Amino acid sequence: MTLAATFLGGARSRLLPASVPFAFFAAAVVFHLLAWLALFAGADEVATFSGGFGLPLAAIHLLTLGTFAMTAMGAAFQLLPVATRQPLHSVWPTRLAFWLLVPGVPLLAFGMTTGAPAPLWAGAIGATAGLATAGAVIADNLRRARDMPVVAAHGWIAIAALIGLTAAGIALIADFRGGFLADHQAVALAHVIVAAYGFMGFLVLGFSHILLPMFALSPLPPVRPAWWSYGLAVAALLIATAAAVTADAHLLAAAALLGLAAVALHLWLMAWIVRKRLRKRLDLSLRVMHLAWILLPAGPLIGLMLATGIAVPGGATLFGFLLLGGWLLTFLTGVLQRIMPFLASMHTAKLAGKAPLVSELTAVGPLRIHAVCHAAALAVISAGIGLDQTTAIRAGAASGIAGALAFGWFAVRIVLRLRRAQAL
Amino acid sequence: MTETFAPQWLDDDGAHIDVRGLPPPEPLVAILTLIERADVPDTVIVHHDRDPLLLYPELAERGWTAEMVPGEVGEVRLRLTRAP
Repeated sequence: MTLAATFLGGARSRLLPASVPFAFFAAAVVFHLLAWLALFAGADEVATFSGGFGLPLAAIHLLTLGTFAMTAMGAAFQLLPVATRQPLHSVWPTRLAFWLLVPGVPLLAFGMTTGAPAPLWAGAIGATAGLATAGAVIADNLRRARDMPVVAAHGWIAIAALIGLTAAGIALIADFRGGFLADHQAVALAHVIVAAYGFMGFLVLGFSHILLPMFALSPLPPVRPAWWSYGLAVAALLIATAAAVTADAHLLAAAALLGLAAVALHLWLMAWIVRKRLRKRLDLSLRVMHLAWILLPAGPLIGLMLATGIAVPGGATLFGFLLLGGWLLTFLTGVLQRIMPFLASMHTAKLAGKAPLVSELTAVGPLRIHAVCHAAALAVISAGIGLDQTTAIRAGAASGIAGALAFGWFAVRIVLRLRRAQAL
Repeated sequence: MTETFAPQWLDDDGAHIDVRGLPPPEPLVAILTLIERADVPDTVIVHHDRDPLLLYPELAERGWTAEMVPGEVGEVRLRLTRAP
């Protein structure tokens, strides 16, 4: 490809140094492995987990702050400026967010495992500062976005949820010693809902409107159903949060029903995009995303059953596992395996004047191993939670570790190929 | 429902497509749809309002090259050529 330096001059401000997104992606991949290791080590506490210090709590935060937030930031920092046509004002806040989160997340996880106040607070402060910095960068770009009102509207809810989840998180940590919250469990449930559905959920739902058409090469989805899906999801989030704080089962059931309606519309929109795609072959990343979409309704469905008194084996624990491991982790590994070789190709085109093919940069073998191990982990751990079987949970976590190692292999190969292409 | 409309015409220097004003990723889809058509000539001129960063990996994957050519003020004009 003939790309003169001047040709990319105007784009350079929108194309961040490769080290920025790839540092976030590399961290996401490492924390992915650490989360599975923590779940493996704490398998005997998983089935009965209902909050409190321990390895399951550490595993949750390694996954949410380490893998989910890092993936979202790496993707948002690079792709938002491209999509909105608004360059970031400066790169240093993205690096600051990274260097606050990288030590903050493991310190927080260590503190959550042991209950030791010093690492707990140091980690919480680092992670909160990192999230706040990243939120400010994303908010500034969304503020200047003109073309994508649906994506921006989802982004604003995510930013608001970020403020709510960090406030609730800090309050929960303080309450472990101070005991000032009237109902610790209620605030913890609100924190889970706002973090998983409000922050990560709205980022995933919103970015899907631009990322999926980009991946599948499809037109933008219809706007009216997208707004309906958004409205229903906002209502579900607000009502679910209120239901958690007030411990009102009727409100929780209403929120779950609204959430299911929002999910149904979102899935219809995703199916529309996939149906209209120019890229006829469904690559592995899209098939992984299909698995995530299958698992997306499980959360509100189990929530509805629990709220209406229908017994669910594993109950709230299964809800949390299918929400975090089933929907969000599956979807984000699908995004990562598509976006990493694509960005690597964009960056090498800039530097070398010739772009290695995306298909040359990716590594299908490790991704296939990851997909099989990840799906097996989800199935076996879900069964283990439902049947209260520690052995099954540990076996499932071992499969998750194998999948995470394979994913790491894929990531290392891309980084090595990127560096080789940059050296040419 | 969103419909992509990108004016297209044939000229002496090849097929032209004007994707200015389309939101991302509509320009990408319109350009790739055009070059995947059986009857498209070996040269396509793209009239764009920004540097289409997402396009280049997709072009390379399809065996096309891109270079910038002079255009109007505020326009990014690309000549896409099918690799021999």
